[in-house]
Amino acid sequence: MQQLSPATLLVLVPLLPLAGAVLTLLLGRVLGPRAHLPAIAGIAGAAAVAVMLLLGTSNQVGSAHGPHAEPVRPVEMITTLWQWASVQDAYVPPASSAAAVPGTAVGSAGSTARPFTIPVALRLDPLTATLLAIITCIGLVVAVYSIGYMHHDPGYPRFFAVFSLFVFSMSMLVAASNFLVVYVFWEAVGACSYLLIGFWFRKPEAARAAKKAFLVNRIGDFGLAIATFLLWMTYGTLDFHDTLSPDGTILPGILGQTRLADVDGIVGGAVGTAICLCLLLAACGKSAQLPLHVWLPDAMEGPTPASALIHAATMVTAGIYLVARSAPLFMACPGALTAVSIVGATTALVAALIATVQNDLKRVLAYSTISQLGYMFASLGTGTLLGFTAAIFHLVTHAFFKALLFLGAGSVMHSMGNVIDMRRFGGLRRIMPITAATFLVGSLALAGIAPFSGFFSKDEILAALHGKGWPNAHAEHHDAAPASHASLWNASYVVPRPAPREDSTDWLDGFDAPATWRSLFWMALVTAGLTAFYTFRAVFMTFTGPTRVPDEAGHHAHESPPVMSVPLVILAVPAAAVGWWLFGTQSLAHFLAATPSFSAPAVAATAAPHAFHMDLAIQGTLAAAIGVVIAAIGHLGRRSDGPQLERFLGPLQTFFANRCYVDELYAWLVVRPLEALAVVAALFDRHVIDGLVNTFARLPVALGGIVRRLQGGLLQRYALAGVMGVLAIVVLLAWQLRG
Amino acid sequence: MNAGLPELTPGMLVAGAVTAAAASLWLLLPRGTESRLARWLGLVLGAAAISGFIVTGRRLGGLGEEAVFLTVSLVAVVSGAATIVTRSPVYSAIWFALALSGVAGVLLVLGAQFLGVATIVVYAGAILVMFLFVLMLAQPSGLASYDRVSNEPLLSAVAGAVLLGLLSLSIGRMSADPTCCAVPAKAAAVSDAGAAATAVAADPLAADQVARLGGELFGRHLLAVEVAGVLLLVALIGAIAVVARGEAALEDDRRFFEGGVRR
Amino acid sequence: MTPLVAATSTALLQNALVVGAMLFALGLVGILTRRNLIVMFLSAELMLQGISVSLVAWSRHHGDFGGHVLVIFVLTVAACEAAVALVFVLQAFARTGRLDVAAWQALREATLARSVDHALPASDAEPQRWPRLSTAGVLPPGAEEPSLEREHV
Repeated sequence: MQQLSPATLLVLVPLLPLAGAVLTLLLGRVLGPRAHLPAIAGIAGAAAVAVMLLLGTSNQVGSAHGPHAEPVRPVEMITTLWQWASVQDAYVPPASSAAAVPGTAVGSAGSTARPFTIPVALRLDPLTATLLAIITCIGLVVAVYSIGYMHHDPGYPRFFAVFSLFVFSMSMLVAASNFLVVYVFWEAVGACSYLLIGFWFRKPEAARAAKKAFLVNRIGDFGLAIATFLLWMTYGTLDFHDTLSPDGTILPGILGQTRLADVDGIVGGAVGTAICLCLLLAACGKSAQLPLHVWLPDAMEGPTPASALIHAATMVTAGIYLVARSAPLFMACPGALTAVSIVGATTALVAALIATVQNDLKRVLAYSTISQLGYMFASLGTGTLLGFTAAIFHLVTHAFFKALLFLGAGSVMHSMGNVIDMRRFGGLRRIMPITAATFLVGSLALAGIAPFSGFFSKDEILAALHGKGWPNAHAEHHDAAPASHASLWNASYVVPRPAPREDSTDWLDGFDAPATWRSLFWMALVTAGLTAFYTFRAVFMTFTGPTRVPDEAGHHAHESPPVMSVPLVILAVPAAAVGWWLFGTQSLAHFLAATPSFSAPAVAATAAPHAFHMDLAIQGTLAAAIGVVIAAIGHLGRRSDGPQLERFLGPLQTFFANRCYVDELYAWLVVRPLEALAVVAALFDRHVIDGLVNTFARLPVALGGIVRRLQGGLLQRYALAGVMGVLAIVVLLAWQLRG
Repeated sequence: MNAGLPELTPGMLVAGAVTAAAASLWLLLPRGTESRLARWLGLVLGAAAISGFIVTGRRLGGLGEEAVFLTVSLVAVVSGAATIVTRSPVYSAIWFALALSGVAGVLLVLGAQFLGVATIVVYAGAILVMFLFVLMLAQPSGLASYDRVSNEPLLSAVAGAVLLGLLSLSIGRMSADPTCCAVPAKAAAVSDAGAAATAVAADPLAADQVARLGGELFGRHLLAVEVAGVLLLVALIGAIAVVARGEAALEDDRRFFEGGVRR
Repeated sequence: MTPLVAATSTALLQNALVVGAMLFALGLVGILTRRNLIVMFLSAELMLQGISVSLVAWSRHHGDFGGHVLVIFVLTVAACEAAVALVFVLQAFARTGRLDVAAWQALREATLARSVDHALPASDAEPQRWPRLSTAGVLPPGAEEPSLEREHV
């Protein structure tokens, strides 16, 4: 592997799954039941390369401990594949540009006009390396699992082709270094998601769910498009990275190190807030945050492996990635940051409440995913390095344990004849012990029980929120060991956070107050308890109590085959241990801090020393324990179709069971008026426009009706007409030449 | 030439003659309805038209020459008119034979002895007999309905008259144009180019005219003659092939026409 | 052999050309009006005759054999045309049972009705009465096949 440069390896990560997808598409019919081979080979190769890249990048960043502890330097590598488009002199910065463009001073400040270029460039930095590894590794495990799950499905090759295509698109999304390319693959993953939700397109619910996901995502994509336009108008480039123009000047990218090193490089104020809010809208659409969360629960109509990879582990975290990648932009707009947190925490709480009353195992997990994504958003919104790294940390652990839970649910579904209603299950741990054990591991991780992975990441998120709510307490807390951190966070990056600008009279910024953060913290804590409750409610309903198997299961009611159970076990290991390991060595936080976006002075300045907050851990564990206990009281050892929940919640149960009537709200606010408008438009079209068109169409028809009579089929009449025509021409000529 | 009517120019005469010819043809052509009056009127108008043309025609000099030319061309034109207005196709063919003899006479007057004879032999002797055979095979007893009506007789007659008028006017105008009708320098140019045979053949009135025509035909136009021979062969084979192949398709077509079934 | 008309003036040329034009125009009118395929053919031949007259007139005027040679080719082509076309006429007759050119109307617009002749008189010629002799001796042979006999052509 000596001869393969990192750039080549980086290109291989998306390329191998793409090749797999193409091969599967081409050879699917030929390969038949072995159609998974090209796709899995491609994803496996990509996974191996991604892990190599992760290790390589990790070496480049350096260790967090020991005598070799180095100051955090931004680490990034760009490889430009080709220039997609290039328009000369497309951008002329406005004379009074708020964006003081750093770097123009570096070279000759000659021409102000700059070209519009879209380089298809791939980047490698710690954030990308982490996500690439997650996407490909979990993708590989889920793909192997799918061999068993999708067995005998008529669309077997199609599934693997789209699956592999998704891995390609997602890799490109996190590796792209240009907002427009990100947009392209943002749409590409959406398209793959659409294809996989509607995989069983003959089933009306699946087709409808796919359509719904696609349409709801459009709203978010619209936000990303607007954000891209605004970014171009503001910065005159769409690149993340700096580029060296032929005349030696550095064209600073939006998230390039030149701009990030400049205190005033990022535009704040109204424009900045608008950009950030548009990015947030995009993230809300893709990551199913309030109020655009409605598509994700319905997306469970797709095959369970697709749900596990796309709608739990990877694609829905694209919004997290986008916000994290744009962290410097958000740092300039505290109001937008607060909005991120408010959206996140609210989503977390509402989704958790809805999840408590769901009876469909996959829907519980879907709402749980929404809730956990809300957690990550809440963490991102704190605008501290801790918050950003905690969000990515939670993203990593969540990817493992939620994929595990989904695959477990899929295993249950597979054995139970595609029944997924928990009220019809009971005591399945006796029938499928491996699934039950691994599901329990995933549930413990999700519920945040120490020492499973979710505990640590959730603890960090709570710490980030707590730090914003009670800044003084944390300052004191951290004063205990100030010296060590000063060495860790190099002095050159300790740039004081820019004071709030005078022009930032944005009302949104008013929310950035400790009181807001305190309420967000309590919401997160309540959500932790609710998470534990609904998770263990699902575990108790499904796997404990008297053994009950739905009739549809037939002779299938046994443990899934090894090709499915082994991936469960493989995923259970990181779901259990990765949190403890990453937290204990805190390698991930240190690693991610070298991402250019996070090493920007504005972000790096907020670096807090790493610490284990015992008080928060106790609060979190207590909340989780209360949730588990309530779930146990309600469901442990009882028949799963009992009315305990209704008795407990009363009318609220109806409210939550109807998903807080969000879908109905949309129906009344959006769908019905649009339908009425469509009816009016259809009537107008059919009667007015079509009438007009038909009137015009009748004119030539009438004219033709007259002329058509000449076409009588009588040969001599044709000949006569020809002779008369010739004579007319000759007479005309004779008349003209008579002189 | 028309001293009594000085205001009557040849152009007006031609126009009148052409109009009369059109009216005559329209009256004489089969139109379904028959009336003796129309027939007589048509004949009178036709005679008037021919007279008009005779009056506007140029004098040839000698009375004998004049009479000969007038006779043969009258035979040709009148028989040609009768060919197209006669109801019965058999009579048409016979009128056509008479028209051919008139044309042959015109050709003889013009000094084309060989062509005059060949026209009689080939047309009247071969082609026309073939027509009559076909008529014998195909013509129903009596007059068919389609022989008693014409297609757009008025418009067609007018079109033909306009054509005739245009041609006559342009021919009449030739005499006013000194460049057009002089014996062209072309023949001289060709002879200058070195073709001695052309110079020899320049006088069509010579005694050995047919021999010279043969020499011309098999000298300068040999390739064209060969091609014409091939054309005759192809026509022969083609006619046989169409008959042979046509028998097979006949049944199909008959069903189509009788049953009205669209293919 | 002396020519019938020794004149070489343009007068002969012009008169001959007028005769050719008349024959051509008559042929044109015939081909446009007459419905009988055979008569249409006769009209076409009439047009060819007009052309021939014109060609020979010019040949006479120019004093060369170009027009004569062309007329010979016209004769050749007319012979070929007659051979092939008469076969077609026979085929057409075999298909429709008529020599009517209006029987072939398939090229018309699909929406138009087939054009038919209206208000034809049953016959415009009263049947001729042939003289019939009183029988003297045996009847002459013939008349076994009445359909083969035509009252007029």
